Amino acid sequence: MTALPRRIIKETQRLMQEPVPGISAVPDDTNARYFHVIVTGPEDSPFEGGLFKLELFLPEDYPMSAPKVRFITKIYHPNIDRLGRICLDILKDKWSPALQIRTVLLSIQALLSAPNPDDPLANDVAELWKVNESEAIRNAKEWTRRFAMDN
Amino acid sequence: MEQFEQLLTCAICLDRYRNPKLLPCQHSFCMEPCMDGLVDYVRRQVKCPECRAEHRIPYQGVQAFPTNVTLQRFLELHIEITGELPDPTSGQTMERCGVCSEKSYCSLCVHCDKKCCPECKDAHMDILRREITRINSQVRRGLHRLQDALALVEKNTLGLQTNCASVSEEVDEIYRRLSKALKDRTEYLRNEVDRYLGTELRGLIQLKENLELEIANIQSNCDLAEAHINENVSWDDAELLDTKELFLRTVEFIRNFEYEAGDYNRRVRFVMAHDPNQLVLHVAGYGELNIKPETGTGGLLGSTGGLAPPGGPPALMRSKSDHRLASQYRQQEEERLARNRYVPDYEYDAPEYDAPRNKSKYRSRFMRHRDGEDSDGDSRSTVRFTSTAQEQAALRERVLDTEDAARGPLSGIFRLTDSPRVMKKLQECERAGKRKKEEPAQPQQPQPPKPQVQVRKTPAATARQVSEDDEISRIKKQNKNAPSSSETVEERPAPTPVPAHATPVRELPEREPEEPPRRTSVASRRTSTEAHAPATRSASSESSTGSESSTGSGIRSTGAPFTAEEMKQKYLSRAPPTNTTTTLSSAPGVTSGARDSSSSATSPRPFQSRFLGGGNRAAPPPPPPVAAREEPAKKKEEEEDDDEETSSSSEETESETEEESETDAHPAATPSTPTSATQDRQKTESAMARTDIGPLLARSAEARRGSKEDSPSTRYSTPRGSPAQSVTSPTTMTSSSTAPSGYTSRFLNKSRSQAAVTTPRERERERERELEPEVEPLSPRSRYAALKERRQRLARSRSSHNFGGDDLDLDEDPPSPTTQSPNAYLAAKYGAGSELARSRSTHALKSREPSPDRDRATEKDGAALSSWARYLKNKYGNRSAKDKEPPSSSSIPSSSASAASRRLSLGLPLRHTGQTSFESSDDDQKNPSGSPTSPTAAPVIPAAAGSSTRSQYLLKRRQLFKFGMRGSEAGCFTWPRGLAVGPDNSIVVADSSNHRVQVFDGNGNFTKEFGSYGSGEGEFDCLAGVAVNRIGQFIIADRYNHRIQVLDPSGRFLRAFGSQGTTDGRFNYPWGITTDALGFIYVCDKENHRVQVFQSDGTFVGKFGCCGSGRGQLEHPHYIAVSNTNRVIVSDGNNHRVQIFDVNGRVLTSFGSEGSDEGQFKFPRGVAVDDQGYIIVADSGNNRIQIFTPEGAFLKAFGGWGSGDGEFKGLEGVAVTSAGNIVVCDRENHRVQVF
Repeated sequence: MTALPRRIIKETQRLMQEPVPGISAVPDDTNARYFHVIVTGPEDSPFEGGLFKLELFLPEDYPMSAPKVRFITKIYHPNIDRLGRICLDILKDKWSPALQIRTVLLSIQALLSAPNPDDPLANDVAELWKVNESEAIRNAKEWTRRFAMDN
Repeated sequence: MEQFEQLLTCAICLDRYRNPKLLPCQHSFCMEPCMDGLVDYVRRQVKCPECRAEHRIPYQGVQAFPTNVTLQRFLELHIEITGELPDPTSGQTMERCGVCSEKSYCSLCVHCDKKCCPECKDAHMDILRREITRINSQVRRGLHRLQDALALVEKNTLGLQTNCASVSEEVDEIYRRLSKALKDRTEYLRNEVDRYLGTELRGLIQLKENLELEIANIQSNCDLAEAHINENVSWDDAELLDTKELFLRTVEFIRNFEYEAGDYNRRVRFVMAHDPNQLVLHVAGYGELNIKPETGTGGLLGSTGGLAPPGGPPALMRSKSDHRLASQYRQQEEERLARNRYVPDYEYDAPEYDAPRNKSKYRSRFMRHRDGEDSDGDSRSTVRFTSTAQEQAALRERVLDTEDAARGPLSGIFRLTDSPRVMKKLQECERAGKRKKEEPAQPQQPQPPKPQVQVRKTPAATARQVSEDDEISRIKKQNKNAPSSSETVEERPAPTPVPAHATPVRELPEREPEEPPRRTSVASRRTSTEAHAPATRSASSESSTGSESSTGSGIRSTGAPFTAEEMKQKYLSRAPPTNTTTTLSSAPGVTSGARDSSSSATSPRPFQSRFLGGGNRAAPPPPPPVAAREEPAKKKEEEEDDDEETSSSSEETESETEEESETDAHPAATPSTPTSATQDRQKTESAMARTDIGPLLARSAEARRGSKEDSPSTRYSTPRGSPAQSVTSPTTMTSSSTAPSGYTSRFLNKSRSQAAVTTPRERERERERELEPEVEPLSPRSRYAALKERRQRLARSRSSHNFGGDDLDLDEDPPSPTTQSPNAYLAAKYGAGSELARSRSTHALKSREPSPDRDRATEKDGAALSSWARYLKNKYGNRSAKDKEPPSSSSIPSSSASAASRRLSLGLPLRHTGQTSFESSDDDQKNPSGSPTSPTAAPVIPAAAGSSTRSQYLLKRRQLFKFGMRGSEAGCFTWPRGLAVGPDNSIVVADSSNHRVQVFDGNGNFTKEFGSYGSGEGEFDCLAGVAVNRIGQFIIADRYNHRIQVLDPSGRFLRAFGSQGTTDGRFNYPWGITTDALGFIYVCDKENHRVQVFQSDGTFVGKFGCCGSGRGQLEHPHYIAVSNTNRVIVSDGNNHRVQIFDVNGRVLTSFGSEGSDEGQFKFPRGVAVDDQGYIIVADSGNNRIQIFTPEGAFLKAFGGWGSGDGEFKGLEGVAVTSAGNIVVCDRENHRVQVF
């Protein structure tokens, strides 16, 4: 294993020193590239009050390639599938090295506030979101309560 | 301020800007590694991370973007304001690390001669440290060899001293004997002459007196008659008649008187039986010194040869050292020969002892000898040390080297503590404190013991030199003084040599290094005494006769041995025919035997036993000779002589009994006796050389005896015969009854006792020698053979020393006897062991070189096989070689052997197409398709088939069908990558970003999928390569999980192996994967720039390739394929080429270069190979498929950029079906196309 790049060290330090409100990212004890992330559900969203666990992994060529982020906590969201994979452009082709962990996590938080059913990953959810948004939001709240609030 | 700092921070590395480059969109980034990392090489674009604007990269690359000078000023200003230290790496540019190929601030690593990143360099330094520790322990373990060598040298010195002392004693004794004999004879001759003179003189005087009386009488008669026989006196008639009668008688007397000249005219003549000149020569050359080469070399070789460190140094070093060893051996051999040749030069005769010529020669020889030995040891040790860090340092500028440090005289190794740099380092770290101390101390520690030894040796060497010089001058002085001393010392005759010889013996132990020159000095001293000794003696014994006779005798009397020899020749005719033969045969033996070889000088004993034993049996029993000899001995006045003889007589009896037992009961004798007739013969010769002295002694005895006799005539005639007969040979002595027993016994005893004097010493030495079983071969053999054998053994022991220690490869993996001639086998096993084997082995090597497959394979294997390659070889037989050549059935045993091994290895189902053709030549039974068995017919088939496939490939262009689109549903792909065709022609696709494997039938219809995202069993993370083995198992390169997974044909997890890392069996983004007929798994370990090979159960077998663009090196190898002829085809992505290896990882060929012409590549990715060996390459940068012949010649290209049919965007894997259809993974189009 090669040494950790300075950038990751810097980012980690900054995340520790100046945490983003509503987001916590803690590197794993054994692997400094693996982060345990908790994102609070944004206000005025069906996910409000939930604590969503994510895992974030910085691949070898980070920051030239995007970090890999996945929801661990189940979430009812059109852009997040049942495996927790996130459909977010900056995690795919829109990744830029100028982005950082914190910006990625902020983007994910923002995605929770603004689901985009037109670019779905979980097709059933997106369908419902498009057809019957209120029910979808209800489902989302239900899921949030069930999976994201217990612990 | 914080914002200011932020402005100076690169958005990518979050560090201060380093060499900020301004993009057209006005955003700045560090040139390296930030901007570099942004480059999309395929499209030659850079995408601004801030605004996502895409910019075309200038022709010269990113460094052509303008530097943001303003920003740089700000940076400088910031540094000035805050006073923060500038980045140590600011001035540098980033380079790819030569080891891990990461971009970093590299510096030259002395260890590997590459530019390395700090991490790698640290690792290398660690390696060095560990190596030093390891080698240090080796040195420590091996140090005792040097100490042993030292002990041996000391022992040898002692041995040399005793040897020389004994030899000089021997020479002294001979001298004493010779001079005694000479003196005796001289005295005797002189006495005889005197006596003769006396008697003759007496007779003459008497005659003279009588004559005078007669003359007086007659005169008076005459006078009286004249005066008184006249008338004056009246004489009566009677008186007158009487007077007349008287006068008549007088007249008669006078008339009759004749002086018998013969009576008193006899002249004593001194007759030399031999030409005096020759005799002088003989005496002058009465002995030789043989310097035997083997004792010294044996000891030294053994000790220095053992310097090989026990651990295995790297193969390269080993091979080098072996090479070195071989040349050394050759050199040694020559040297030894040369030495033997020079032996005559070093034999110097007694009178020449003091000649400076000889001395210098001797010395030079010694030096050469020494040089030879030492340089051997030296070079060997340096060879060994090449494997240490020391030598590696030597290749660069030697930082530790110093001019003024005292070096070990043999190895040139100096004390590390003498190096100012080391001392500085140590002081520094002492100052720095404890914590850091460990590190420099470690490399420091190892060496000191080594130099110590050398240093210890230095004074010895210098002392030797000095003393030698001293000695030379001393000898010179002595030589100058010699004439004068001969005058001054005149009064002390015999005793002088004794102290002279005694002193060196006593002195030598104290001043060992002077030994050789000292010996000569002794010699010179002796010669000086010798020169004047006769004179002294004659002067003392016969002072009355004057100097004339004494000087004359000084020369002439030395002729004694000559007379003996001459007589020998004279009496050859008289002697029985057997005698002539013996003498004749012995006569050359005298000269040749002495000079011939070392053994004659070293081991005369066994012969003596025979000689004497024979003599004993034939000649009178032992007691009388002793008595007889002692009797005359008693007559002698010299006490020393007497003492010595008595002592030697006792010795003699001892040796006699022993010798008898030796000859009579051979097996019961000492271990040396079985050494065979040849040695005996040698010894015979040497003993004959000894008998040279025999006649001399016999003469002296004879002289003593003869002095009693009266008449000169008898004295001169009779004794001649007896010694001659005694001289001729022991056999004559028995046969000739006339010979006085006293003489023979005396002679016998003399010669024997003489031998006896030397024998105990010799015997001891012999025994010592015999204790070392290596030196003397015991089996009876011809001398030549024995010598040779010994030499071989020596050499072998040396070589095995060297090989045995570290050449595990050679020991473990000797070229199999089936493939090579036994000689070559031996030669390979023992390296330069025997000349014969060597010469033949080179022969064999030469002949092996051009010979086809098998030998080359084995030979190369032997040379370069790593364990896994050997393993592969065993598994595969030698089929690897067959790619190159059509199978030859010429070497029947080898092919059958390989067939056998193949049979063993063919446990797995085999692809028969194409392979059968090879099979047929070797193994008919294994030929299920019944293809022709004749070897010539075999290659025809692929050729014929090849032409058809060739035309088939040439027609390729049109897409047959395609399937897949972007998506995560069944039959859809998200960036598919690897491809494989299963045994049932199914198409297996690594649907990378869907983290699954999809299987389609031969027509592209979806059959199944398995796998999901994750790192558990059966889960994937962006899998890349996929392969299907012969039993339908899926082998998947689970890229981001850095592992290989094996799934059963239904997709159930079987096993996984590997994790992230760079060591064996670990991966960094494994990419392409393939398997061969035997189930071996080949993985492109992309970021480790290598290919790893595993058994089907995941056992690591081997690896090859490392980062680089050289032959056999790889940079981001992506895909891999193995032909049924076991050619491993690798797409060497960043080197824009395809390399083909054999199963042992040796490059067979490579083709392609960067470009878009035919046969050129841009980032080639997928590779596939069909049954005929045609190679299909996915030229991803050119978005085309290229087809090559098995030899790597371009055949066909098709495709271009786009999303239409037959167009590609980002090619990944390719595969080829058994029908010859090419399956292509079109990544960015998320589809698979089939052609």
